[in-house]
Amino acid sequence: MTTNDELQQQLIKDLLIESFEGLDRFDREMLALEKGAGTSDTPNIIFRVIHTIKGTAGCLGLSKIESVAHVGENLLSALREGKVSVTPPLINALLAYADALREMLRSLETERHEGEADYSELLRRLQDLNCETAAPVPPAAPAAPAGWGLFEEEPSAESPVTPPPATVAKAPPIMPEIEPAARPGSGGTPANAPSAADSAIRVNVDQLDKLMNLVGELVLARNQIVQHCGPAQDHGLLAASQRLNLITTELQEGVMKTRMQPIGNIWAKFPRVVRDVAGELGKEVQLVMEGNQTELDRTIIEAIKDPLTHIVRNAIDHGIEGPAERRAAGKPDTGMLILRAFHEGGQVNIEIMDDGRGVNIVRVKQKAIERGLVSVEQAGRLSDREALNLIFLPGFSTAEKVTNVSGRGVGMDVVKTNIEKIGGAVDVVSDSGRGSTVKIKIPLTLAIIPALIVTSGGERFAIPQVSLLELVRLEDDQKRKGIELLCGTPVYRLRGRLLPLCYLNQQLKLVPATAGQLAADLAQADAVNMVVLQADGRQFGLVVDQINDTEEIVVKPLGKQLKGIACFAGATIMGDGRVALILDVLGLAQHANIVSEVRDRAQPDKARTDQTVGDRQTLLLFDAGASTRMAIPLSMVARLEEFPRKSLERSGEQEVIQYRGQIIPLIRVADHIARVGILPEDLSDPMQVVIYAENGRSVGLVVGRIDDIVEEVITVKRESSGRGTLGSVVIKEKVTDLLDVSAIIRAADPAFYLDHPATLAA
Amino acid sequence: MRKTIMTVDDAATMRRMISFTLKGAGHEVLEAGDGAEALELLRNRTVDMVITDVNMPRMDGLTLTRELRALQQFRRIPIILLTTESAPEKKAEGRANGATGWIIKPFQQEQLLAVVAKVLPV
Repeated sequence: MTTNDELQQQLIKDLLIESFEGLDRFDREMLALEKGAGTSDTPNIIFRVIHTIKGTAGCLGLSKIESVAHVGENLLSALREGKVSVTPPLINALLAYADALREMLRSLETERHEGEADYSELLRRLQDLNCETAAPVPPAAPAAPAGWGLFEEEPSAESPVTPPPATVAKAPPIMPEIEPAARPGSGGTPANAPSAADSAIRVNVDQLDKLMNLVGELVLARNQIVQHCGPAQDHGLLAASQRLNLITTELQEGVMKTRMQPIGNIWAKFPRVVRDVAGELGKEVQLVMEGNQTELDRTIIEAIKDPLTHIVRNAIDHGIEGPAERRAAGKPDTGMLILRAFHEGGQVNIEIMDDGRGVNIVRVKQKAIERGLVSVEQAGRLSDREALNLIFLPGFSTAEKVTNVSGRGVGMDVVKTNIEKIGGAVDVVSDSGRGSTVKIKIPLTLAIIPALIVTSGGERFAIPQVSLLELVRLEDDQKRKGIELLCGTPVYRLRGRLLPLCYLNQQLKLVPATAGQLAADLAQADAVNMVVLQADGRQFGLVVDQINDTEEIVVKPLGKQLKGIACFAGATIMGDGRVALILDVLGLAQHANIVSEVRDRAQPDKARTDQTVGDRQTLLLFDAGASTRMAIPLSMVARLEEFPRKSLERSGEQEVIQYRGQIIPLIRVADHIARVGILPEDLSDPMQVVIYAENGRSVGLVVGRIDDIVEEVITVKRESSGRGTLGSVVIKEKVTDLLDVSAIIRAADPAFYLDHPATLAA
Repeated sequence: MRKTIMTVDDAATMRRMISFTLKGAGHEVLEAGDGAEALELLRNRTVDMVITDVNMPRMDGLTLTRELRALQQFRRIPIILLTTESAPEKKAEGRANGATGWIIKPFQQEQLLAVVAKVLPV
């Protein structure tokens, strides 16, 4: 035997690739056949897939695959000849059969043998299907002893038919005159003779990765040269560096393209998934795929394969209703599942849309509370969008019962983690009763990314451009006015929205971080440079010393010593040859406690509310009007907002305001405390409103002016000084009344504290 | 003596396996993915022998055999069919279309080399 093990392994590898591709085609054509959408060639294509697997496996000595393939081949042969008709049992058996082959191939791939599974029952099923037609079962190829033969040596039973154009020569000694003709053509043929129509070749992925790495190095070298040539006077050198610059960019794009695969490659298996899942659940689902040709880097394709499958299964399981329920809702029996992929802004967008029942936000909240993922209070405070995102929390599952298909509660959080791992983002939009859409945004590639270079504490850092929203620079006055402290966290009011701030130098401990330091820093710096970033759907401002430039950076993984640090995504080499760390925006935000798992936030919150008067508390100080200074525990405050006067509306007697899609009642604190109330005319514009939320309901407390947030040990000096207050304390040498929030809310809206569960469930 | 043999199969693994075996025996090998491609390749050159699969997309092995036999320079070269079917009527079909012989799949490398040695004597 000339075969060595290496070749055998190589051939098996080829067989695996070829067979998996073939089986995917098998599935596709099978489904087409089921829908009656097949062409006359369809049965033949299906047959050929199995035929090829059988032949190749046999030659490689994979007898189990060969014999299993053989049984299917007989049935498919009968199908091709029209002796067997297409019925649901036939389709099901053949799809199961394709899975069996896949299983053996996979076992071959991972365990190097064909596996122990017993397929005799399946094979019997196939044989039965073949017999049902009463067609004679093709004999199981009784191979001639030699396995080959020449026709002229064959004692022919029938009279040999003369070949149409010419007679068959007996195995001839090779014609000498042919020889020279053969030579010229073959002279230049490389050892591995290419076939003419093979305009595509298979290249080892490692080879591509290596090329990509080299291009990465080249990009770095290019950056260095371009930087050094900046001040150069030599025109020749400048021209050459510019040319190098252009060519490198082109090469980079070219190599990147070689690693691109159409997303259709992984979508190809979805028709089968959809069919199986829908069948299992007794639902009817039509799958539509748009943008099959959208290309992605192969590493990314690999990474999103499983998350996408999960989302698709989820959509059918949780989203799309059964036919009866759909009919009742006035929808067609067949649900629609649409997969869309498209490029946008240097990213790939993938959307999975269904026209099912949508996500029941109330139930999501309930579940999250039941599972202890959020507190009741927090659940109430969440906007619909935030509530929807609860489904991405670990251990969350809204399925009424755990089904085979999904609902094991390991799903969406894994989806999210996997997608974020590759720098992507996932979001859910739901329209109750009309369907939901999962939107995924992922970068085109992971190897070379555009980034913003910033300086902090004398070090340079790269921030991936994907998470960058905008840059803000505050000078003198703006910065003093703009930056406030809330809950000990500095915040900046950007176009009316509170933006938590994070000082990079403190987060990374580049400077000693003390409470006083922050204020000192603020006072000292003549300007504040802020990079507005997005992490996990939340925005925050990262304060840095300097904002430098944007650059294409080559991502280098961190050594294993640094890998555990969530703040960094990797490192890169800058044009001057120095190393800069790449910030992991999400990790940084988590480190700074700006984004955290809601669950984590529940604990400190609860601790704070449990504190009683007399303990150390963080208080929000405000002027209630008529120069009365009042305080409420900050833990009771959901948000501080400003509303223009004109947004004030009335609902019956009650003053209300629209806030985040809700109508919330407004209570003028001044009206409820003993002193003289302020007249409507006295309301400042914009109004300062403290949003207070409990059990899913919000109420706005209109105050005169928000003064400060302090952390104080409260010693009540005087018991209740009147209605609406709990007592008075001295804070910062001023008498301050503690507002009795629940009393004034009750006074304004007696229903507020009643029937929460009912409200929630409604 | 070194011969040039063309292998025609839509399964790349099969082509590769045949190609390896034949190259190991010192032959030069030309590959084609189906009958149409083989014909296209053979338009401007010739080979000493063709080993072709029967069931292929675009153009099957029997048609390829027939087409080749219609061309002067391929009238007499050995054309071997690679087939999984050994039923007499299938064989008759191969013979009718002008094939020289057949090899039943799956086959051992030795069998392949034996056929080649037989039809391409040195």
